[in-house]
Amino acid sequence: MDRSLLLVSIAGERAAFASEIIRSVVELDGITPVPRAPEHIAGLAALRSRAMTVVDCRRTLELPEAEVPGSLAVVVEIDEFLYALVVDAVEEVVPFDTEPSEIRADLLPGWARAAIGMVETSAGPALVVDPAKLIEGPAKRKAA
Amino acid sequence: MEDLLAEFIAESRDMLEALSGEIVAWEADPADRARLDAIFRFVHTVKGNCGFFEFPRLEALSHAAEDALADVRAGRRQPDQALVSAVLAIIDRIAEIVAAIGDGREQPEADDAPLIAALDANAEESAPAPAAAATRAQRRQSATPRTIRLPVELLDRVMSGVSDMAVARNDLARRIAQHEGETGLDAPFNRLSAILADLREAITRIRMQRIETLFSGFPRMVRDLSHELGKQVMVEIESGDVEIDREMIEVVRDPLVHLIRNAVDHGIETPAERQAAGKREIGMLQISARQTGSEIRIGIVDDGKGIDGDKLVEKAVAAGILTAEEAKLLSMRERNALICEPGLSTAKEVTAVSGRGVGMDVVRANIEKIGGSLMIDSTPGSGTRMMLNVPLTLSIVPSLTIGVGERTFAIPRSYVEEIVRASSEEMDSAQIGGREFITVRGQRIACVGLDEILGVESTCPREARLYVLIRLVGGDLFGLAVDAIHNHEELVVKPIAPVLMACGFYVGTTQLDDGSPVPMLDVSGVARSAGMIREVKDRSLRRELRHERTEERELVPALMFRGFDGAERAVEMDAVRRIEKLPVSALRTAKDGTAQAVIDGRIVPLIGLGGFKPEGEEINLFRAGEDGDERAYAYAEIVDLCEFDPAEVVVAKGETGQRLALIGGRPVELFDADALLAGAAILANAEA
Repeated sequence: MDRSLLLVSIAGERAAFASEIIRSVVELDGITPVPRAPEHIAGLAALRSRAMTVVDCRRTLELPEAEVPGSLAVVVEIDEFLYALVVDAVEEVVPFDTEPSEIRADLLPGWARAAIGMVETSAGPALVVDPAKLIEGPAKRKAA
Repeated sequence: MEDLLAEFIAESRDMLEALSGEIVAWEADPADRARLDAIFRFVHTVKGNCGFFEFPRLEALSHAAEDALADVRAGRRQPDQALVSAVLAIIDRIAEIVAAIGDGREQPEADDAPLIAALDANAEESAPAPAAAATRAQRRQSATPRTIRLPVELLDRVMSGVSDMAVARNDLARRIAQHEGETGLDAPFNRLSAILADLREAITRIRMQRIETLFSGFPRMVRDLSHELGKQVMVEIESGDVEIDREMIEVVRDPLVHLIRNAVDHGIETPAERQAAGKREIGMLQISARQTGSEIRIGIVDDGKGIDGDKLVEKAVAAGILTAEEAKLLSMRERNALICEPGLSTAKEVTAVSGRGVGMDVVRANIEKIGGSLMIDSTPGSGTRMMLNVPLTLSIVPSLTIGVGERTFAIPRSYVEEIVRASSEEMDSAQIGGREFITVRGQRIACVGLDEILGVESTCPREARLYVLIRLVGGDLFGLAVDAIHNHEELVVKPIAPVLMACGFYVGTTQLDDGSPVPMLDVSGVARSAGMIREVKDRSLRRELRHERTEERELVPALMFRGFDGAERAVEMDAVRRIEKLPVSALRTAKDGTAQAVIDGRIVPLIGLGGFKPEGEEINLFRAGEDGDERAYAYAEIVDLCEFDPAEVVVAKGETGQRLALIGGRPVELFDADALLAGAAILANAEA
């Protein structure tokens, strides 16, 4: 089974997305803010003729804001909607063919919510995260 | 009618096809409630459609099967093999008849009575089962498709490809513009643009159909239905230029038919009941549609007796659907929604039209299947508003783009009634209880700033703002204050991600020509958050208001006089140039009955004398018309200076075109200037 993971960096930590769900990696230019949207939703951006919902990964993970807002985003498609997950940097794609292992430690609440498990990759350990959880955002914080 | 029939046939075939699996499963386990419900829905739908098309055999068959199944659903009867066989035989017979109708053949000669009799709980197990098997095999053959069906995904792909092309075209346009005509690409680029525009339009049409095509059958249906039920119903249809996915039309037709049938059957009362309740004898049924980005809202509003929420709750508790404690926590809307629970209906008697609480659970099942929703608001005694929301996978919405501060939003144009500028003279604004109200042409309208609703900073001075007057599906009007109106355009609106949908302010996203995404506002969400949506409007109250307005209506002054023939007549004051007396010596009466008067040195035709020879020295008359085309009308005496309501004037049929006005409670013949001029000859003849 030739699966692979895309390694990204968010707030200085390494995270991984299963690459089969990734549509592309884009440099965002121009985000249309959406008033009254949940905090972790930065707004809307366009990928050709389709709109993407832009998710600020630092905010959804309840991590400190970046000094310079990132513009690099991993685009995933869930239920026919496109989401751009803004990360600090995209590192590399590494092959991976086992299941992520259970995490035996208390993580920060944001990471704990989004994490599927941990993997050891050729580039070092990384946390595999579930994009759907990132999109959902911090629990119980409903929009006004 | 042809179209409707074809759809009925196609629908029935589809359902039969889908049902074949269910039937087999039900045969294996007659106690399976879900299968039972599915089969019940089928016969119910067929029965409903038959009422519309007059297929007595189908109606008898489906009604019989429905009765038997209803007993099973209500627990009055246990499903056994005999019943299953009997029901299957009926479904097969229905399939046979439907197939025959579809092919334009004569309906197969057969006696339906044994099939119906076999449904009887006491009937002995008899022959229909093998016969059923035979006809089922036959049905398979006859169901050959006569149209080509394309998967919607394919159309979606083509459409999104065209949209991508449009964005690429815009990008190219910008780059070409930077070279200021030195590329030599202008001509081919323009051609490409034109082709693309054509293509885009064509591709859009492939999927879209005006919702009118769906609505057009409803007035007739309501008419027939109300006739049958001995009710009087007036239908108001407002399609709001909504275009809907072809596929979606098929999906919403059935739920809509059910909702309308329910409204007429259970909502609107009989004329006698309505009169007793102090309502107008004629019931009102309003069917309207609005397109809002990724949703189409269809409202069905009646002014009938409403839904008895308490009774529903009582029944639901009795049926074990919820506990009494749970019932107490329900909101009004949730209580009304109980009407959609299988097996619950507040109708006292079951009619051929609807009843048994099946319609609504079919409706909800169908709507939910496509990701839509149904909201029911009802005020007992004064009416019910059912709001059907169905999603659109893809649609072109005529929109208005508006701006607040730096932000741009789109709103569907179908909601927009009018745009008023704050500085306009027609408008008056007032602050009442912290809420801004504007008055436009005598109507006071509550307003809310979009900046306030969305928490966006407005960059526009208050007095330079624009008010977009928005008419909601239910008929409520409110004003939305914005900084700017950017454009009217046709926008391709796509669904917005659930996480944004959940904020309740947006229904979709769209892209402007430069490719930048713009959210489309959920107009009723905005109104709701500002508390602008009222409960079901009280139509009887509205009628009273309208009545008051009649009394305030401007009355027309008139002169009432008595002619020489003794009859009272009235003439509009505006038509009278002058009232005066003339010496009798200035009159001349010809042998043929016509008369003339000499007024200010001119000869003017004189009407009103008839054969009467004036006595005394002077005669009363008034003059109408203008110089050179004047008439004089002689009268015996002035009765009164009076007023009449122009709305109450009745025009008599026939040549005379006589107009009657109600003055002091009496009908009085009325003349205006035209009637006096044109009708002189007629009048003269009539008098002669």
